[in-house]
Amino acid sequence: MSSDGTLRTIIETRKVDKRFGTFHALKDVSATFYEGQVTAIVGPSGSGKSTFLRTLNRLETHDSGEIVIDGIVLNDNLKNLDAIRREVGMVFQSFNLFSHLSILRNVALAPMRVRKMSREAAESKALNLLERVGLKNQAAKYPVQLSGGQQQRVAIARALAMDPKVLLFDEPTSALDPEMVNEVLAVMRELAYSGITMLVVTHEMGFAREVADRIIFFDEGVILEDTTPESFFSNPDHDRAKAFLSQVRHGF
Amino acid sequence: MNWTRQYPGWAMFAAMIGLLLFLWGMAVPLAAAPAPIGPAAEQFADGARITVGLTLIAGTAGVLIGVLAGLGKLSSFWPLRWLCDSYVWLIRGTPLLLQILFVWLAFPSIMPEGIELSDFACAAIALSLNIGAYNTECVRAGILAVPHGQVEAARALGLTPLQTFMDVVLPQSMRVALPALANNLASLVKDSSLAYAISVVELTMVGYRVQAESYQPIPVFITIAAIYLILTTAFTTLTAALEAQLDVGQKR
Ligand SMILES: Nc1ncnc2c1ncn2[C@@H]1O[C@H](COP(=O)(O)OP(=O)(O)OP(=O)(O)O)[C@@H](O)[C@H]1O
Ligand SMILES: [Mg+2]
Repeated sequence: MSSDGTLRTIIETRKVDKRFGTFHALKDVSATFYEGQVTAIVGPSGSGKSTFLRTLNRLETHDSGEIVIDGIVLNDNLKNLDAIRREVGMVFQSFNLFSHLSILRNVALAPMRVRKMSREAAESKALNLLERVGLKNQAAKYPVQLSGGQQQRVAIARALAMDPKVLLFDEPTSALDPEMVNEVLAVMRELAYSGITMLVVTHEMGFAREVADRIIFFDEGVILEDTTPESFFSNPDHDRAKAFLSQVRHGF
Repeated sequence: MNWTRQYPGWAMFAAMIGLLLFLWGMAVPLAAAPAPIGPAAEQFADGARITVGLTLIAGTAGVLIGVLAGLGKLSSFWPLRWLCDSYVWLIRGTPLLLQILFVWLAFPSIMPEGIELSDFACAAIALSLNIGAYNTECVRAGILAVPHGQVEAARALGLTPLQTFMDVVLPQSMRVALPALANNLASLVKDSSLAYAISVVELTMVGYRVQAESYQPIPVFITIAAIYLILTTAFTTLTAALEAQLDVGQKR
């Protein structure tokens, strides 16, 4: 949110459509996301949440419709794609840390290669970010030597190293043992309050309710609900959302 | 070889120094041996240097060819894929001796006027093409073994396809491909003996000549075999140490 209280658009999708063969994964999805907003994306398995998130940095290409990120149109133009990927960071369910690089090098690699930072500058920046996620003392280790929760915090630091305007999270805690979920959520909570724009696909309803400004409920490739956490959790409009919530409340 | 795994840096260093000392120092103790070995000491040393020279040149070129053709086999551009497939099929389906003879006899008529290839160069080219084809399969398998999430993470951070390959895919695929590549290199030390057919005076050719002059095949061939064993051991130590070096961060 800017100082005068108006919302600045950061991501705009218009009638985004995506098929995998005959399977219709996204059906004319339109949504606008504003700077500083934290959006939780929820919905049943296979509803297209990951696909939607992945079209936003072109890990999946959309078939039709338009995606505009910070004024840049996402299309086959490689210049645009490079610019967008510099502004959009992503955190994956399975961390995807570079297994052959130390923690420090994992975080420093992209600033060095993409932003052409010197090694010293990139590594000192990486150390600051690792300190922010509480892992400065692990900088010399390799990903396999860290717990899942620690690896995911490194992955967040790695995404932050590019100073993205938007962070996409695809089920960042789903691959973690229960006792490690909170350390990752704590880092995400701190980020949310720092004002970065976040889109978070999650099954952590407690987190969504507490931290998100907005909830988007996906079902069979369409956005069925797009509302505030209060109204989504207390009184959803659609039966599908009610069924989903009751299922979540009773555990999977 | 536990020592190699524990101190890979030192093992590599020791193997390299050992190889150099052996190549340039072996004539001294050999000269003290009784006839027919002693008088031919310098010839043995010359032959061993030629063998190692062929191995190093073809080994290096073979890795480059293997990486390029391995990538080509995975290309989405079918003519390139077809070209690389045919290359591997052709080389693996014909005898190395034939390939060496072919380069030696056919290249002079193909090459532009004024360019003359030495026998050594012909052997080096044929051996490079040969080991390159076998390396192609190893590299391809190595690249396929890199989890797709690693590529996605690199692309999402804004690395270009080339940076993604050089910084992430290639180092990780080498970890998988190296044992097989090392195996090919060890074979190359021995396969280089076929260069004798186009009158390159490598180690086996030296042995053949010395025994033909002295009529004492047994001591001569025992000496040759011992030299080959020392060379293959040095190369095996070198590659095992390199493997240990690359293994860092894999398991622990
Ligand atoms: N690369 C692909 N090829 C074919 N089908 C795919 C591909 N990726 C996703 N799909 C299909 O598209 C549908 C939506 O997948 P998506 O991963 O977006 O769901 P999701 O909402 O993230 O589910 P989950 O909660 O299980 O992660 C699924 O039915 C899936 O099988
Ligand atoms: Mg998903």
